[in-house]
Amino acid sequence: MITTVPRWVSYREDFMAISRRKLLASAAAAGAISTSAGIFAPAIAQSKPLRIGILAPRSGIAAAPGENGIRATQWAVEKYNAKDGIGGRKVELVIEDESTPKDTIERFSKLVQQEKVDCVQGIVSSGVGLALGPVVEEARALTVYWDGTTQNGVDETIPDPKYLFRSTDNECEAMMASLLTIKHWKGKFAKVAGINPDYSYGRNNMAAFIAVLKRFNVEHEVVTEQWPKVGTMDLTSYAAALKAAKPDLIFSSLLFADLPVFMKQAHAAGLTEGTKLVFPAAGWQHTLMKKEFTPEGMLFGHNTLYFANPNNSATAKEFVAWYGDKFKDYPEWEADRAYFAVESYKQAIEKAMKAKGGGWPSQDDVIQAMIGLEVESLGGKGNWRKDKVANQTFVQGFTTHKNNYDFVTLAEPFDTMYSADLQKPPGANFWEWIKTAQFKV
Amino acid sequence: MSAFANILAGGVFHAAVLFLVAAGLQLVFGVQKIVNLACGSFYALGAYFGITFIGYAAQFGMSPWLILPGLIVSGVLLGFIGPPIERLLRTIYSRDESFQLLLTFALVLMFQDVFKFIWGANPRSLDSAYLVYGTIGAGDFSMPVYNLLVILAAIAIACGLGAFLQRTNYGRILRATAENRVMAEALGVDVRRIYSAVFTAGAVLGTTAGALVVPTSAASLDMAIEFVVEAFAVVVIGGLGSMRGALIGATIVGLIRALSIVFFPEFEVIAIYVIVIGVLIFRPAGLFGRTLA
Repeated sequence: MITTVPRWVSYREDFMAISRRKLLASAAAAGAISTSAGIFAPAIAQSKPLRIGILAPRSGIAAAPGENGIRATQWAVEKYNAKDGIGGRKVELVIEDESTPKDTIERFSKLVQQEKVDCVQGIVSSGVGLALGPVVEEARALTVYWDGTTQNGVDETIPDPKYLFRSTDNECEAMMASLLTIKHWKGKFAKVAGINPDYSYGRNNMAAFIAVLKRFNVEHEVVTEQWPKVGTMDLTSYAAALKAAKPDLIFSSLLFADLPVFMKQAHAAGLTEGTKLVFPAAGWQHTLMKKEFTPEGMLFGHNTLYFANPNNSATAKEFVAWYGDKFKDYPEWEADRAYFAVESYKQAIEKAMKAKGGGWPSQDDVIQAMIGLEVESLGGKGNWRKDKVANQTFVQGFTTHKNNYDFVTLAEPFDTMYSADLQKPPGANFWEWIKTAQFKV
Repeated sequence: MSAFANILAGGVFHAAVLFLVAAGLQLVFGVQKIVNLACGSFYALGAYFGITFIGYAAQFGMSPWLILPGLIVSGVLLGFIGPPIERLLRTIYSRDESFQLLLTFALVLMFQDVFKFIWGANPRSLDSAYLVYGTIGAGDFSMPVYNLLVILAAIAIACGLGAFLQRTNYGRILRATAENRVMAEALGVDVRRIYSAVFTAGAVLGTTAGALVVPTSAASLDMAIEFVVEAFAVVVIGGLGSMRGALIGATIVGLIRALSIVFFPEFEVIAIYVIVIGVLIFRPAGLFGRTLA
């Protein structure tokens, strides 16, 4: 017997259930179409713009790097569109805010399901990256992280992702700073202190620094470890605690707006005089590291983009000049990460098209083309490993006041290292790798 | 010894700023019986506006030596926001306390968007102009003179506020209104005006605290919520509505925080809330609060 009209509640539940099923099915179908494409995809695809979704923080403590990344992407896309776009298609950006993991996942779904973007790029926060990783795989949507990670601590949660391309390991800058500390200061310090942000990034960076000191048999004593919450702006007591411990060397991976505040308060406390300072991630706030409170001779990391690097490519120099003209500012490494992501995507599409004799490639074709791809990014060369983790070029050196800016830059010569020498190989355990790796110090 | 002095100096500076915000909270609750979560927003507003004010003042040739009085003036100027907000709060004076919390928390969120609209999402700071006053020190001890001046300013405000409430006629009227609003009204006190003035004074304490702290720190969107949580710890320890409680509570929180950062860094937050819980269990009205019958 045909049933009568059901109660509205159950009807609504059924309807919603169907909707959810339909939604998932359509997402899966969309994935299937994009992976098997080839036959009718070129005709449809090449007539409409290529849409790239961007997820980047636009407010809060990571707003400045988020803005850097967005601007670099916009600059690259303007350049592409001034010619033939990517593979003959003009490029459109759909920008959404990266905030909490939950909200960012919802915005990711919106980009993929409603906006129907062809690729998602962005993500700065490790917490968001970690949560979003499985969603990316489930949605089968090509996604390229600028930064962040899918590591819980340093344990990989997605060892072999199919659709997700990830940035270099978060510990690369700490590894480089540790190696440079040994290169330049081994035997010149004994008492070590740390002030690092109180989340996995800060904890892992400090632990990596200590592990490298042990690996190279550097005699040392950790006299204090400080862990301010991210965003703590009164760091006077932390500076006093560090001073009380009388360290020879301070290691800090502070990198948000709290970093210049700490430097200011450390300077006022007399902490910056006579203490060796190792700040691998300071480049995220480089223009706020004013000469009046940031000393010379501090080991300072610019990560993957040092705007004043005389060895920068013509493209990088053009970008820095454009950035300066337009925003009266100087870009930092998130701009490079974003450029690397969008340029990699462009080159992968063009490589895949060439392989197909000019036809528009499927998402799987693009993914395959991206693996092993060598890309000249703003900060230097980069490539994509088999496990879809990036390799990029890192810059660190000692600060100087001898420049035309009101903030510190790097004294020449500074050091440049490729992340293949700074991050664990695919599948390796980070801590075991430190014990056995052959480092180029 | 000098290391301990450095730690104490850091703790007392934090306590001084915390006291100003908590004093505003106490004043408003003491007289108006409103738990004003927006006191954190006044603090943030003072910080943002302080940067703008000093920026413009410097353009007009203000000497860097005037940064401290300049910031106090900028905090006081913001008092104009008090009356309209107090007017808004009148709608909930006679309603359940949960309405007060909801409305003042809504104000916190609205202020956050206003800050974003006016000053942008990025934290803002004043370089290190506050070091113009130099530092004082002996041996390994050193402290920016500016920090010392802020501590002295907070002490002066505490004494001034105490004297005002205890020794002036207006202060007596305020205390009478706090004790029994209906009786005060029956005796001819213009309670509406009193409320407006008290709320404005509470707001000015918050904005001045924000303005004074910003040269050593930075103005950020999150600072309102971060600070209001600590201010409430002060209020719970000191006793809701008590000025003396605000002073002692702020000193306890500031010093405990500073000492735990040095000796037990992992327990920086726990240490404060262990005391809060202890006070709630053994002295629910706070150290200087009065138990309601």
